[in-house]
Order: sequence, then structure tokens, then C-alpha cells
Amino acid sequence: MRIVIAEDLLLLRDGLIRILTDTGHEVLAAVDNAPDLERAVAEHRPDLSIVDVRLPPGFRDEGLRAALAIRAEHPGAPVLILSQYVERSYAVDLLADGDGAVGYLLKDRVTSLDDFLDAIDRVAAGGTAMDPEVVRQLFARNTRDRGVAALTVREREVLALVAEGLSNSAICAALSLAAVSVEKHITNILAKLDLPPDADSHRRVRAVLAYLNH
Amino acid sequence: MIGRTGRALGYLALGAPVAILALAWTLVSSILLLLLAPTQLAPRALLGATVVSRSLARFERWRLGWYSGRPVAVPYQPTVAGPVRVRAAAVFREPATRRDAGWLATLFPLALPSMLLALVPTLLAVGLATAPAWLWAVPNPNAPELVAPIVGTWPGRAAAAVLGLALAPLAARWVLTLARGQAGLARLLLRPDDRQQLTALAARLATTRARVVDAQAAELRRIERDLHDGAQARIVAAGMTLALADRKLRGRPDDPVRADVELARRQLDGALAELRHLVRGAHPPILTDRGLSAALGALIADSPLPVDLRVPDDTSVPPAVEAAAYFVVSEALTNAAKHAGAQRCEVTLAGTAGGGLTVQVRDDGRGGADPAGAGLDGLRRRVEALDGILSVQSPAGGPTVVSAEFPCAS
Repeated sequence: MRIVIAEDLLLLRDGLIRILTDTGHEVLAAVDNAPDLERAVAEHRPDLSIVDVRLPPGFRDEGLRAALAIRAEHPGAPVLILSQYVERSYAVDLLADGDGAVGYLLKDRVTSLDDFLDAIDRVAAGGTAMDPEVVRQLFARNTRDRGVAALTVREREVLALVAEGLSNSAICAALSLAAVSVEKHITNILAKLDLPPDADSHRRVRAVLAYLNH
Repeated sequence: MIGRTGRALGYLALGAPVAILALAWTLVSSILLLLLAPTQLAPRALLGATVVSRSLARFERWRLGWYSGRPVAVPYQPTVAGPVRVRAAAVFREPATRRDAGWLATLFPLALPSMLLALVPTLLAVGLATAPAWLWAVPNPNAPELVAPIVGTWPGRAAAAVLGLALAPLAARWVLTLARGQAGLARLLLRPDDRQQLTALAARLATTRARVVDAQAAELRRIERDLHDGAQARIVAAGMTLALADRKLRGRPDDPVRADVELARRQLDGALAELRHLVRGAHPPILTDRGLSAALGALIADSPLPVDLRVPDDTSVPPAVEAAAYFVVSEALTNAAKHAGAQRCEVTLAGTAGGGLTVQVRDDGRGGADPAGAGLDGLRRRVEALDGILSVQSPAGGPTVVSAEFPCAS
């Protein structure tokens, strides 16, 4: 796919370009600051933007804010945020517009190449890729939630993977479960959380994340 | 020696005219103020008189600073705004006003005799020492018999010169002693009193401490950023390279190198996780990015216990206070999970009236925490460095409440 990268550290920018080109993707532009990113996205309309949270000039969360600006300008433009640490509140900001096609991963995840490639495919296809760390933080907020408390251990595991944005088949592979039992778990989970059953997995992920974020 | 003595002489000599002025002014102003005291004009008169008295006292401070080489701090409070009566009352209450008056009154009986006592021996010593140069020009037909040989003969004049030279050091010492005495007393009365000095010292210490604390917070932020842009980025890049290598080896599933590459990649992941943990311990990145409440949210997410977090929407406190508050919560949550066997915790932050911040962490564990334990002690030092107070209540059987209060007026 056609990708734009925003990463201020040369080392990582080059690393990302190598990984993406080696795996058959096309890097249209690799920039090192937020304004250039917004320009590059407007110019190329890429299938995916991969953005570092910290960008010059402030080195705080300019990358995230640029991503939000891009999403406001081009609704649904797929954006994957990479960071060296994850914060739940950043995920909340990304998910806020409800358009999907967002991801938020630790930079470490890039080294697990297959998972990373899977994640960018999901985001580009309009899905969600949430770092397990983010999901853990979301769960931590919901310790007193009656719906979450009613889940079995296995259901929690499944819910965590759903929240990360994995498809049913990926969840089957991750937990070594049969497709039927995964579907059964998901039906139970949605019932316990009082969420409508939804065949569209992207919408389902968003509903789950919204629930955990409330 | 000669220079110092000259300066001391100048100091003492200059004291005399000021002393006469001071005496005159003390008498005039006292009479005026006594006469005007029962009238409406009293406050205005007091303010006017103070202007003159303070000018004299300022000159005295300059004279003392010039002599001693150490400037004297000005003890006056900043002028208060408001009606004449209020300003006059404030001036009247100031210790410096009374001390000025005390010095001006002391000056005449002190400085005038000092000047005379200093000048006479000095002139005597100088006169004798220089006798051969001028004594011959003074006609002394009626010189007493005792003095005549000294005055009238060269050997006599030479002897006088020797005597004068011998007297000179004694005279100089005498002059210096007199000057030192006057200067000592002057400094006592003209400088800020002890309480003012202590207040100023406390203010200075508070400022420098705040600076140290801010510098430390800035240093930790810098370290966090350097790791982020340096070591952490390098390790991620190395991981990317390994991931690509691993991918290239896929065509050879039996190659033993694959296992090593995979292991190396996992080891790097472990290193990254550890670095992240370390950085979070030094200065959580989210504090840099988004401030305290977001950072606390991340913190409770890491806690194995269910935590209720209550944070006001607006916690605008200095970075050093943010970091300290963060670590108070961090340490308390760790203890609750590790040692207290708590089931749940409550973390409450609240702003105080003076723009300060209180942090309270309560758990329902078994209590019995040792407030002097290493973790809590380190925490106490961190909090106290900011002028804050850390208190730990942990009766046996619980609950444990760790609270910190920070004044944010730094």
C-alpha cells in the first residue's frame, strides 16, 4: 500500500522505510515534523500514515495532534500512531471521531514483524489496532464495572484481543480456540456488556473500546 | 596601615558634622512631633520627619559602608499604599524607624568626642615626627626651660621626630579602635534587625531550594528525552533490523540461526520494556507530554489493584510538584499491593486554597506500614524538598493513608 511516515529520528525513519519497502509497501514520503506530515497527507492521500507521537518543535504530542487534525480534514484517513510508551488517553483521543481506521502501537511492536504488518493492514482496511498495553490500561479502569466483573477469565482474554482489534480468526489462532467457541465467547461478552451483537467486526471493536473507555 | 588609618580618620572626622546636624534635627523634630501629636497633622508630620531622618540614616549607612568596605543593607519595609494615617502608622511601627532615631540621637555624644579623641593624638604624633621640618620656623623666645632644648636645637628636634615616629603606630591603633567602635555600634543600629535578616535569609533559601528542585526536575526531563531519542530508539532500530533478518531466514526453516535471531529479538524487547520501566521511574514521559492527571491514570492502570482515582480537572502545579505527587501515588500503590494485601485503593487529589495541592492514597490493607522504611523515607525527602509535608497513618489492621501536602507558591 501507499504509506506516509512521520518520524523525527533518522534511525527509526530509515528502519521503518526499510521494513515497509522490504515487505512490498510503497513509502511516498517520510517527514520529520507535523506540518510537513499534514502537507504530505493532503498531497498524496496515502492509504496509511504512520506517525510518531513526539515530533518537533515541542516534542510533546505534536504527532498525535497532527494525526487528529488530519482525521478532521480527511475523515477516515487511516492513521497508525507509534510511540515508545502508550497512554490510554491518547487512544481515547484517536478513537473519539468513531471513524475507525486508527491504530496506536508501541514502537517495540514493529520488531514483531508479522503482528505489525497485520496491524497496518487492519488499520488501512478501516479497522483498529490497539496496543495490548492500552487494552490493559482500559481494563484497569473497569475493575469496578459490573459487566466486566461478570466475565470469565477466558472471556476477558477474548475481550482483550477484540479490543486490540483482532479479527475472529486471529483470535482463534492466538488462543488456539475453535472458531465456534470464539464466536460463542464474543456473543456472551457482548451480552454481558449489554452491547448489540454486530456482524461488522470493526464496528464491534469500536463498541467494545467505547465501552471500556466510558 | 597608613591607608586604613587615613580612612578611619576620615570616617571619624566626617561623623562630627553629621552629628551636629543629627542633634539639631533630633531636637527640632522631637519638639515638632510632640507639639503636633494631638492634632490632625500628626501623621503627615511623622511621614515628613521620617523622610529627613531616613536621608540622614542613609548617609550614615553610606559613611559606614565607605569606611568598612561592606555595604549596609537597607532595613526599610516597602511603602504601603493607602491613606496618610495608615502609612504613618506603618512607618511608626517599623523597628527601623526607632533604630534610626536611636542612632541619630547617639551620634552627637558619640561622634564628636570620637573625632576629638582621634585627632589630638594623631596631630601630636604627626607634629612631632615632622618637627625638624617646621619647628625652626616657629619663634619661641619664651619657651619654658624644659622644652627649649627640644624646640631650639637640631638634636632636640631630631629627638622629637623620633618620639613622634614612635608614637605614630600607637596613635594609629587608637584611631582604628575608635573607628571600629563607632562602626560596630552604627552597624548594629543601621542594619536590618535579626528578625528581618532571618526573614530575608529564609526567603533566599526558599528561592534557591526551589531553583535546585526545578533544576533537578529539568534534568530528569532531559534524561527522559535523551533516552527516548537515544538508547531506546537505537534498540528499536536494532530490533527492526533483526525482524528483517528473521524474515529473510523464513525460506530456511531448519536453519539454527533463526532461533538465535528470534531470541535476540526477544532480548531486545525485554531491554526495551526494562528501559521503559526505568524511564517511568525517573520521569514518566506522560508527565512531560500531558501533565499530572493523565500520568496518574497511566499509573493506576499499571496497578494490580482496583484503584479509584479522583483528580480535579485543573491541576496546574510546577513540574517538580507534579513529579513528586506522581511518585507519592506510585509508591503508595506499590506498597498497598505488595505489603498491605489491600483489596482496593482510593487516590484523591485536591487543590488547596493557596494554589497548593494535596494528594491522598488510602488502601484497605492490613496497615502496620513503617513510616521510616526506605521507600517512604525517600518519598518524605522528595516531598519535604518542596516544602511539603508527608504523613503516613497506618495502624495495625489498617487502613493505611498516605497523604502529601504541597504548597505551590514556589
